[in-house]
Amino acid sequence: MSTNSIMTIENLQAKIGDKEILKGLNLQLEPGKVHAIMGPNGAGKSTLSKTLVGHYDVTVTGGDIFYKGKSIKEMEAEERALEGIFLSFQHPVEIPGVNNAYFLRSALNAKRKHEGKEELNAAEFLRLMRGHLEMLGMKSDMISRSLNEGFSGGEKKRNEILQMLILEPEVIILDEIDSGLDIDALRAVSEGINKMKDGKRSFLVITHYSRILDYIKPDYIHVLKDGRIIKTAGPELVAQLEEHGYDTIEEE
Amino acid sequence: MKLSTLKNTQTQELSTLLQVKGREQLLERFCSIGLPDKQSEAYRYFDVEKLLESDYTVTPAFPGAIGIGEKVIIIDGVVSTAPKGLRIYYKECESADMEHFDPMYFLSHLLSPVIIKIEVDGDAELEIEHRFTKSNSLVPYRIVLHNQANRHATIYESFTADDIENTLVLYGYDMHVAQDSTLRVVKMHSMIDSRYAMIASHKVNVAKQANALIKSFDLGGGQALQLMKIELDTYAHVDASHLLYLNKDSKRGTVSQMIHKGEHSTSKQEAKNILDGKARGIFDALIKVEHSARYSKAEQNSKAILLHKEAYMAAKPQLEIYIDELEASHGATTGQLSEKQLFYLQSRGISYTEARKILVIAFANTLIETVKDTRQQEQIKAAFEEVFYTTHQRG
Ligand SMILES: Nc1ncnc2c1ncn2[C@@H]1O[C@H](COP(=O)(O)OP(=O)(O)OP(=O)(O)O)[C@@H](O)[C@H]1O
Ligand SMILES: [Mg+2]
Repeated sequence: MSTNSIMTIENLQAKIGDKEILKGLNLQLEPGKVHAIMGPNGAGKSTLSKTLVGHYDVTVTGGDIFYKGKSIKEMEAEERALEGIFLSFQHPVEIPGVNNAYFLRSALNAKRKHEGKEELNAAEFLRLMRGHLEMLGMKSDMISRSLNEGFSGGEKKRNEILQMLILEPEVIILDEIDSGLDIDALRAVSEGINKMKDGKRSFLVITHYSRILDYIKPDYIHVLKDGRIIKTAGPELVAQLEEHGYDTIEEE
Repeated sequence: MKLSTLKNTQTQELSTLLQVKGREQLLERFCSIGLPDKQSEAYRYFDVEKLLESDYTVTPAFPGAIGIGEKVIIIDGVVSTAPKGLRIYYKECESADMEHFDPMYFLSHLLSPVIIKIEVDGDAELEIEHRFTKSNSLVPYRIVLHNQANRHATIYESFTADDIENTLVLYGYDMHVAQDSTLRVVKMHSMIDSRYAMIASHKVNVAKQANALIKSFDLGGGQALQLMKIELDTYAHVDASHLLYLNKDSKRGTVSQMIHKGEHSTSKQEAKNILDGKARGIFDALIKVEHSARYSKAEQNSKAILLHKEAYMAAKPQLEIYIDELEASHGATTGQLSEKQLFYLQSRGISYTEARKILVIAFANTLIETVKDTRQQEQIKAAFEEVFYTTHQRG
């Protein structure tokens, strides 16, 4: 295991139901770096992100995941979140009847409690929110509505980024944060992501398009195919992939 | 006295046992339907026999002077205080519904020689608190309530009890919702660690163009059943919703008959049930649309969430329709909390217990939010959390 790694994924094998999806995947996330993952549909990208946050769909059958040097394979989802691992979902779920602001504050206060900090009351929380909402171009009524209920695709993604901003995680996994976003939303979301870069946090950005990478400047491009990372290179790989597709990529 | 001794009695014998003079019609009605048991339609999901086997002291309610207070407080069936100016008094009952489906409706009438009569004036908001202080008692009392035509009155009903056990409360309303009026009744009945039981048998008459909004929030444990017969006149509208959140070995719920008598009458009945532990929820609701009720509209729906594998929902929506010109729908579903939603909350650092609490309240929220008064809303939510934390460790 490299010493300069915040998260190390070693020979990870995982299945959903009876289907083997991750087949010995290796990856290291470096602090302060942006790692982009690209790969064909069905390759296992979302499965990887779910595995990292302990989703109930996924059974790990082999290998391990180390976060800050400790295995998190057995850790509960909420524990991983409290320790600083965050996933922006490809398809965030709608929860009618749960007020978005109440949810956001509960999540933030759970984190603050975990860190031994004072919990924020509703007024303090709203003050904190104001700047974030403005930056993301979110109307304030978005947080008084039910969580994700009836949100457009773009609004859901902005709400995911809002959660990232207030929770200030250390490993940030973004599963197709850019799909379905219009140009303004893409810019706003990218701005939110860039704001989180502090030289320590590490980003794992799953995407099919180069557009978002123009904004958030990846340090590494990894190609995930058939449950494994088959190539890792610098940002120059994006242009090659866009031109030739994934078929021409040779496993290293 | 054991109520089971009233089984298979003749009117003569019954009037002696209950020390009732006159009231032949009531005596006859009760004798002809008989004491409820497991086979009784209205009590098939409720352990009524156990309650009828218990030995109770029958405490006759001696009506005394009514003091002045912010709200109506009824202690063991006796009015203790009432707001200044409220028309509230004791009276012999003039009329009971001789066609009521529930035998206990007749029994509670027979056991209540005088009734509490309340006439709500104007657009009043009235709070009624029922308090129970005696163990091993049978507490029968009835309330006849009238509101004023063309007015919008609201009643908030709540219940408290001392540390009592083995008491059976038999209370109920005969409610008259006046023409062109609106009457909202919000009932909040939280029974945490309560060891009394309740059978509440009501009759609601909804006059022409009147609106009756009846919202019941039944939380916690215990054994309690509300039985309601509601009759709708022409263009009358009823919105009766019921939220149950039960735990332990509680058995509670609603048995109702919604009877459309007048043309263009509309009813909406929504039950949401959250059942934990070994609790059983009851929603046994009949909508009956009579020949005279053309162009009526009736909606009925029950949704249940089971939080424990031993919890059970007895949902029985029924339609009995004698006309063609109407719109009617009914349905019942039972499910669990969504795993996907739970995971989403947990993935943001919210504990499993808190996530469950959030989702349970979310399910209930659509009904809680129909209570317009925010203070009442907060009280319901607080009671909800209290019930939640009696069975789940605080995170
Ligand atoms: N719950 C599930 N049940 C059965 N199969 C599943 C489930 N979830 C994912 N799979 C399968 O696992 C494989 C990998 O899916 P995954 O969502 O990880 O792909 P992906 O790389 O994210 O694809 P995309 O680019 O389309 O988002 C696919 O073949 C998919 O059908
Ligand atoms: Mg995917």
